[in-house]
Amino acid sequence: MSKDASVLSESRSWRDIPQQVRPRAMSGEGRRRLVMGVVRVMAGCGALALVGWAVWQMAAVMGENTAAMPEEAKSDRVKSLVLVTDGVLDKNWLARTLAIPADATLMGLDLDKMRRKVMEDPQVSSVSVLRSFPDTLTVRISERSPIVRMMAQSAGSAPEMMFVSRDGVAFRGTGFDPAMVASLPWVDGIKLERRGTSIAPVDGMAAVANLVSTARLEAEGLYRTWQVISLARLANDGQIEVHTREGMKVIFGTKEDYLRQIARLDLLIDSDKDPTRPIREVNLALGSQVPVTYGTAAPTLGAQAFVPVTTGSPKPMIAFPSISTPSIDPHREL
Amino acid sequence: MSSKTTFIGAVEIGTSKVTALVGEYTGREIVIIGCGECASRGVIKGSVVDYRAATDCTHTALELAERDANERVDHVYLAQSGGHLEGFYNEASVNVKAADNMIEADDIRTVCELAKAKDLPLGRMVVHHIRRPFRVDGRLVPTSPENLVGQKLEVGYWTVHGQEQRLADNIHVIRGFNLEVRELVLSSLASGHMVTTLEERQNGVLAIDIGAGTTDFVLYRNGAPHTTGVVAVGGGHFTNDLSIGLRLTEPQAEKLKLRFGRAVVQARDKNDKVWLDGNFSIGDRQFPRQAIESITSARAWELMEVVKRRLGNAFSADTCAGGVILTGGSAKLPALAECAAKVFGAPARLGEAPSWVNENLRDPGYHTALGILYYGVSAQGERAAASRRKGGFLSSVTRLFAQT
Repeated sequence: MSKDASVLSESRSWRDIPQQVRPRAMSGEGRRRLVMGVVRVMAGCGALALVGWAVWQMAAVMGENTAAMPEEAKSDRVKSLVLVTDGVLDKNWLARTLAIPADATLMGLDLDKMRRKVMEDPQVSSVSVLRSFPDTLTVRISERSPIVRMMAQSAGSAPEMMFVSRDGVAFRGTGFDPAMVASLPWVDGIKLERRGTSIAPVDGMAAVANLVSTARLEAEGLYRTWQVISLARLANDGQIEVHTREGMKVIFGTKEDYLRQIARLDLLIDSDKDPTRPIREVNLALGSQVPVTYGTAAPTLGAQAFVPVTTGSPKPMIAFPSISTPSIDPHREL
Repeated sequence: MSSKTTFIGAVEIGTSKVTALVGEYTGREIVIIGCGECASRGVIKGSVVDYRAATDCTHTALELAERDANERVDHVYLAQSGGHLEGFYNEASVNVKAADNMIEADDIRTVCELAKAKDLPLGRMVVHHIRRPFRVDGRLVPTSPENLVGQKLEVGYWTVHGQEQRLADNIHVIRGFNLEVRELVLSSLASGHMVTTLEERQNGVLAIDIGAGTTDFVLYRNGAPHTTGVVAVGGGHFTNDLSIGLRLTEPQAEKLKLRFGRAVVQARDKNDKVWLDGNFSIGDRQFPRQAIESITSARAWELMEVVKRRLGNAFSADTCAGGVILTGGSAKLPALAECAAKVFGAPARLGEAPSWVNENLRDPGYHTALGILYYGVSAQGERAAASRRKGGFLSSVTRLFAQT
């Protein structure tokens, strides 16, 4: 080796050796320690953030401390109630429900108790109660919408009409438009169970709600004829029976798209104009094969003309072509 | 548990075994709470030659030690050995600057920097700068010469340096466990500090650590390390000699060495024979005891001669009143102390660990790892003291005034 090559300008220490190694050169335990180290750092940061948030929350709570408030603020009475809702309940209902004494002060109100009172009405699904200084109590609620109605009777009392929402909650209903109420179909074939002072949620209402909302949106003319919706075969067969005002029974299957079934029903009714043979039953739960049962115009001579698929009869059994959903305009008039 | 408690790791990647120790340092005392050991693989003469194998066994030892201690260490002190390590001596002198000839910290710093400023060949890196005592106008000063009066201040450094790639390999093996190497410690310094006393170091003593692949030695004079060195010969060579001389496999030769090897020939009867296994199994055969002793003693004698030659004029029986102290796993060869005494012409003995060391760690094979742990404790204490000094109120005020 030449003299020039063997001489460096300065001596280096072992500390100049970079200690980093690639994860590939680490053992499994080394990689695990590396990951755990990162996790520990992240957990530490998370804990710090949590402590910071807790301190901030504490500061906020301390800021709301009634003891730290001026006496004037504590003695302000509730002068107005504000109801913010997405439904039909009004301010009178709120006043009745809360029953706030006339001399109650805003700071003297127990907001949690107020919230519980509002939630006692099953028509309300969620609520938040806020103090709006200096003298206003603001209540924000979210209401349940009725899907169907039913007649319920408790022991020793008269039957009363109740509504059932999408989540199966039964409620008496306040403030609904009578015309809207009259348009709601009745529900049948359900078993009501009492839970405490209220009725236990009804099973299967989500399927009914989907059917009703699809019919209401896409085929309002058909929907108006619906009188009773029976859930008797829902649990076992996955079928919903709809009885119309004209005496027709329509069976919907819950496994197939409701829009497709309603489209078939609409097409079937439109194509059948024979007044001597009114349709008595349509079963849409069997896919593209739709058995149709006909009656006669004279009620006493009603005869069923159910023909099996194998007969190939064009009228009693109608085979629809497979309809793909994207080809249907969801907003079209059926 | 005190908030000052720290957990210190010490690792020795040897040719025959890897040892990892975990010590709990409370600021006043050290307690060894974990020990892990694993047969070494991928290491020849103190250098890593198979990264994956060396990593596997080192990490196994570290895992065992941490599991034994039930604690996690974040950094370790690592023993460094190997034939690539070399040392040289360099000294410098300065004239004292002050008009009244009182030595100041600036003079000390300047002379130390000058003594350490020597270029190394390409690919070499400094492992240790070992300072020898200061001299003020020829007068030996074992501690700091600050505030002493003199005209000329001299100091010398014994610089140990090694090959960059081999140092990096050792460090990367530890980093593969996601551990930081806080300090590289020369194996000879670690084991030498364990087996010698302060008084012996003051009077002069030679510590020889005979491992499986290398022999490390350190000569102490005036209470400080004077010369260090590494010879790439160890206990493994004794085994190899027996294997070649008696035509045996390595395990068979190792067995014979452990049972009948001696550093000084004792057997006089050529017909005195020993069995290889002694259990009448197939392949068992007899060997002359004298032949075994002759082979091992020849190698032991040669090894001691090599060490003596490497020390050169630095060693003499007159300046080494403490004699020779042997340590390391291969130092257990019978009569090795007798052999060393004859070669060096000075009293020799097998080194023992201090009394505070647990019974199961008193074997000479653990002295290096124990020494590293001890070094770690000292470094930790110095670090704590330095941070205390650095963070003090008075020093802050001093720095503030110095800046203004």
